[in-house]
Amino acid sequence: MILVDLQIASRNLLNHTKRNLLLGGAIAAVTALLVIMGALTEGIRSAMLESATTLMTGHVNVGGFFKITSGTSAPLVTDHEKVLADVRRLAPEIDYVTVRGRGWAKGVSERSSMDLVLAGVDIAREPGFRRVVRMKEGSLEDLAKPDTVLLFEDQAKRLEVRVGDAITISAPTARGVSNTADVRVVAIARNLGILSAFNVFLPSETLRSLYQLNASTTGALHLYLEDAAEAGHVAARLRGGLAKAGWRVMDPDPRPYWEKLMGKVNSEDWVGQKLDVTTWEDELTFISWILSALLGITGLLMFILLVIVVIGILNTLAIAIRERTREIGTLRAIGMQRTKVLWLFLLEAASLGLAGTACGALLGVALAAAVNAAHLAVPESMQFFLMQQQLTMTVLGRTVVARSLFILAVTTGAALVPAFHAARLKPITAMHHIG
Amino acid sequence: MTTTLRPLTAALIAALALPAAALSQKETDDIVARVDERQHNNGDWAALCYMESKEKDKTDVVYELVYYRRTEGQRLLILFTKPKSEAGKGYLRLEKNLWHYDPGTGKWERRTERERIGGTDTRRGDLDESRLAEEYVAKWEADEKLGAFDVHRLLLDVKPGIDVAFPRVRLWIDAATGNVLKRQDLALSGRLMRTGYYPKWKKVFSESKGTDVWFPEEMRFYDEVEKANSSLILIRQVDLHPLSPNMFTKAWLEAKSR
Repeated sequence: MILVDLQIASRNLLNHTKRNLLLGGAIAAVTALLVIMGALTEGIRSAMLESATTLMTGHVNVGGFFKITSGTSAPLVTDHEKVLADVRRLAPEIDYVTVRGRGWAKGVSERSSMDLVLAGVDIAREPGFRRVVRMKEGSLEDLAKPDTVLLFEDQAKRLEVRVGDAITISAPTARGVSNTADVRVVAIARNLGILSAFNVFLPSETLRSLYQLNASTTGALHLYLEDAAEAGHVAARLRGGLAKAGWRVMDPDPRPYWEKLMGKVNSEDWVGQKLDVTTWEDELTFISWILSALLGITGLLMFILLVIVVIGILNTLAIAIRERTREIGTLRAIGMQRTKVLWLFLLEAASLGLAGTACGALLGVALAAAVNAAHLAVPESMQFFLMQQQLTMTVLGRTVVARSLFILAVTTGAALVPAFHAARLKPITAMHHIG
Repeated sequence: MTTTLRPLTAALIAALALPAAALSQKETDDIVARVDERQHNNGDWAALCYMESKEKDKTDVVYELVYYRRTEGQRLLILFTKPKSEAGKGYLRLEKNLWHYDPGTGKWERRTERERIGGTDTRRGDLDESRLAEEYVAKWEADEKLGAFDVHRLLLDVKPGIDVAFPRVRLWIDAATGNVLKRQDLALSGRLMRTGYYPKWKKVFSESKGTDVWFPEEMRFYDEVEKANSSLILIRQVDLHPLSPNMFTKAWLEAKSR
C-alpha cells in the first residue's frame, strides 16, 4: 500500500518538475550548508582541542600553587613524583602522562621584547608534540639540549630572531628574585592561532634553573586518558582521592591556572602547597567563546535559511492544493478518507525533503572533501581565532545524518498546515472549484 | 746625585702605579652602614614623588604619587594622585606583606615585595628606607673615579634567607660624602638587569633623629635587559613631621581613594 502511495506522491512531484526542483534545490542547499558549517565547526573544534590538549593542557591536569608567604605564589607542584604515584593509583584509565613546567617571563632579543608564557618540556616524553607542532625552521630534537627554546613564527617575527639567535628570558623566581636565562632559538614552528601567541617551549631543566627549582618540583602533570570524555569523572575522583591521600586540594574552579594565579590564589591566606585538579575544558575557558560564537553564527544562519525553506514549502504546497482542489474533491467523492489526503500530501513533502536532504548531504560531504583536498589557506587575520593555517573540515557521519533528519523533519512538518487544509476540503465544494 | 735620585723616582712611580689599598671588611661594612644611617629617619616621612617611565613602543607614562614611611614597623604607604586613571590606587606595606588597592574594583590584592611599582621599573625598595647593611654582605672591589668623584666600588651579595629583587648589587659610593652615586642591580644569573644613577642628594633636618636625613632627590634607572626602557624618579616636598597614628591602615587608603 505504501508503495502505491509513494508512487502517487512521486508522480505528483514529477508533474510539477520545475517548481519542485526549485524547492528541492533549496532544501539541498540548506542541507549542504548545514553539513559544511557543521564540518567547519567540528574541524575547528577538533583542531583546537588537539592543539590545546597537546600544547597547553592534558585531558586532566594535576597542577597547583606553592606559596612561600601568603602574598607570594607560584604555579608549582612539589614532590611531583609522589603526586604522580598517587594519581596513577587513583586513575588507572590514564593512557600517558607528561610533566610540564609552568611560568611566565619577558623574552628579550637584541632588537625587541615580548611577554611569554613558558612551558618546560622533556621533548622525548611528549608523544603528541610532533603530531601537532609543524616546524618552519630548525629541529624539534634540538629542544632536548639545555638552554634552548622553541618559538612560533609570529613570536620569532616579533622578536626579530631566527634559528641560532639568542634571546634572554627574564623572570622573577618563586621568591621574587630577578633571574635570567640566555637561550638559543633551535626551532621555529608554524603558528597555531591564539595558542601560539604567547606560549614558548624550553627544556624543563632550563626552566628549573631560571626559577631555581629542584628536580622534584614541576608545574603540572598533564594526564592523557584513553577516552577524553571521561575527564570530568577522573578529575572528580582525583580530587577526592588525593585529598584522602593527605594532599591539600583546591576546590573545583573552572578557570585556567593563570587566571587563578593572577586573581584568586594571591589573595588567599595560606602558605605551602595546594594541588589543583582541572580538566581541559577548565583550562580552555578563555578560548571556548570562539566555538560558542561560531556555533551561534551557524545557528542564526540556519534559522534564517530554514524560515525561507518553510515559507517555500508552505507556498508550494498551497499552490499545489489550489491547482489540485478539483482532483482532491473527486478523490474524496469516490471515497478517499481525509486522513488519506493528509497522508498523501505529507508523503509528497517528505519525499521532496528526503531527495533534497540526501542530495544536499552528499553535496556537503563532497564540498568538505574538496576543501580539505584543496588545502585552502586561512587568511592571517582569521588564523588567530581558527587556530589553523589551512582550512580543515571534519565530517562526522552521525552529525550529517542527524542534521539531514532535522531538515527532513522541518520540511515535512512545514507541510502539515497545507495538508490539513487539503484534507478538510468538502468534496462538493472542491469539485466545483475553478482554479 | 743623579744616581741616588733614580731609585727614589722609580720607587715613587711604582707607588703611584700600585692600586689603591683595599679597604678592610670593617671599613667596607662601615661605609655601607653609613649609607643606611644617612638616609635613616627615626620617625615618619612624607614626600611627593614624580615617576616617569619610558618603554620601547609604548607611550611614556608619568605618575605623581605621595608616599609615607614610618620607621617603626617598617611601614610604607604609596598613594597615586595622577594621572586621573591611576588616582586613588595605592600600596600598603603591613608586616612584610605588600598590598595593592584598586578603587576601581574596591579590592585589595597581596603583591610581592619585589613588585614593580605601577608596572614601571621602579621597585618598592627604591622608595623605602635604605637597608643595605641588613640585607646584603658587602665586599670592597676598588677605589676609583666616577666622573669627577672619588668613589668606593663595592659588591653586595644578599644574605642567606633574605628575599630581595636583586641578589647582587654593585655600588659606587662617594668617598667624600657617603652618598650612593651609581648602582648596578644584577640577577641571580649574574646578568646586569638595571643601572641606577643618583645625581642629586639633598638633606632635611629630622627632629626625631636629631640630625639631617639625606635622600636622593633624583634617581634615574636604565633597564639593561630591555635597553630602551628607563625610569626617572624625582622626590620633592619631604616632610618629616609625625603623621597621623592610624595612617598605615587599609581604611585610611580607601578613604583617600574616594
